[in-house]
Amino acid sequence: MTNRVCVLGAGSTRYGKLDENIIEIALAASRDAISSAGISPGDIQAGYISNVFGVTDKQVHMAPVIMSNLGIPYVPGLTIESACGSGSIMFREAYANIAAGFYDCVLALGVEKITHTGTIQSTTLFSYCSDFFYEGGNGASFPGLFASIARNYMATHKANEEDLAYVAVKNHENGILNPKAHVRKEITVDDVLKSPVVASPLKLYDCCPFSDGASAVILCNEAFAKKSNRQYVEVIGSGRGASPAAVQGRDDITTIPSTVNAANQAYKMAGITPKDIDFAEVHDCFTIAEIIDIEDLGFFQKGTAARAVREGATRRNGEIPINPSGGLKSKGHPIGATGVGQVVEVFEQFTGKAGERTVKNGEIALTHNFGATGASAAVHIFKKVE
Amino acid sequence: MSSQPNRQQTLSSREKFIASANKGKILSNKCLKCGHIMVGTIYYCERCHGSELQSTELEGSGKVVTYTIQAVAPEGFNEVGKSYAWVVFRLDNTELKVSGILIGIKSPADLPLGSKVKVESFDPKYGLKLQKLQ
Repeated sequence: MTNRVCVLGAGSTRYGKLDENIIEIALAASRDAISSAGISPGDIQAGYISNVFGVTDKQVHMAPVIMSNLGIPYVPGLTIESACGSGSIMFREAYANIAAGFYDCVLALGVEKITHTGTIQSTTLFSYCSDFFYEGGNGASFPGLFASIARNYMATHKANEEDLAYVAVKNHENGILNPKAHVRKEITVDDVLKSPVVASPLKLYDCCPFSDGASAVILCNEAFAKKSNRQYVEVIGSGRGASPAAVQGRDDITTIPSTVNAANQAYKMAGITPKDIDFAEVHDCFTIAEIIDIEDLGFFQKGTAARAVREGATRRNGEIPINPSGGLKSKGHPIGATGVGQVVEVFEQFTGKAGERTVKNGEIALTHNFGATGASAAVHIFKKVE
Repeated sequence: MSSQPNRQQTLSSREKFIASANKGKILSNKCLKCGHIMVGTIYYCERCHGSELQSTELEGSGKVVTYTIQAVAPEGFNEVGKSYAWVVFRLDNTELKVSGILIGIKSPADLPLGSKVKVESFDPKYGLKLQKLQ
């Protein structure tokens, strides 16, 4: 029997180009989460920190530095890296440690700072997250890897570039309502199609931005949450999955096995099916990723998501709202923080803090975040607690 | 009698893969338990986890499954800039897919899906280099 795990507080910096040092960014989100949970740093028994490129801002072994600057230098911290999925995969470890009873209350913090490195260096650093011998080492960038997936998907399932554009338009429509989003700009299908090609067939508006930012949540067991007399959200499902690291190793390039496996575990644990999910925050690093995600998560049959997106099924008032926060595409993608940022969105949605982007009658939500082209993934399911 | 070890036997799997690529071949491993064929850099069978693998050099020719042409290349690829495709191709007569770089491709019109390609070499700068066949 494991302990029930709850999200008691959440905080996030703005996502975008931030001038502060990476530690300052991390501390800002941590302070917001601590304040949101109504706890003191002394209540935190462990810190879980996700980050990928701290070395570019002269800081690795980040966890003890953050704990020290929160005034809790004797509380153990752990830094976790899983490329763009670092945040959710770290969240899973924090979740598991509460569920197992090792701790009553922990900080789960994701942080990234990358914009100071410039486009070419960022592109290069991200390519190190691929299976470098077969991908980055042969000249593939991340937009290039997803562009290859997109070309294969379009050929296999008769989708086109305009289908992908609808994902970007929808996520920008949501992100414009998010005061912390990186790219708050309304765009049209035509804008997407006319934007410069980044990696054919993907264009600029098919791609998420490089972002700085931090997001943090306070996780605790149910007894701790109840004692707080504050609003909280329960984690009712958790799953992890893996895929062959290189795209070439996958039998079917139009599906991401890690997503499918992580989702199946999470649905089983929660005792629900995809039909029970009221909204989802999914990993839309590129528009094609969202199309594949929402099929792999079971919201749509394989090959049908593009049409569903065109018809508005994934808009905020649609059949299954996807990325009400604006997603990676508009809210931004500070890769160490992204997975935690999705949980922050769920917390804000379920505690009346999401303002105009609130999904009506939302009670059960799903977060999905993966590393690289889906070599590693985590899916979590959350329930609103009245 | 020489006490020198046989260099060929001490090569790592990646070095062997590179040596094969320089002969225009793809090094593969066939699982002797279940028959699954995978690239030669994988140490145990990814299907049945068997450890008895037969190393075989396959002809490095196949058909393009997917690819991209990038506007921004990672560092080290600036010289070939916007005129290469990163390609996933399926080796002839197998289900095995491998990826590499195909220099000289400037537009999707230059490379319809299904185009024939073959391994040229393993370039120290660019990795697995491919050649387009007519």
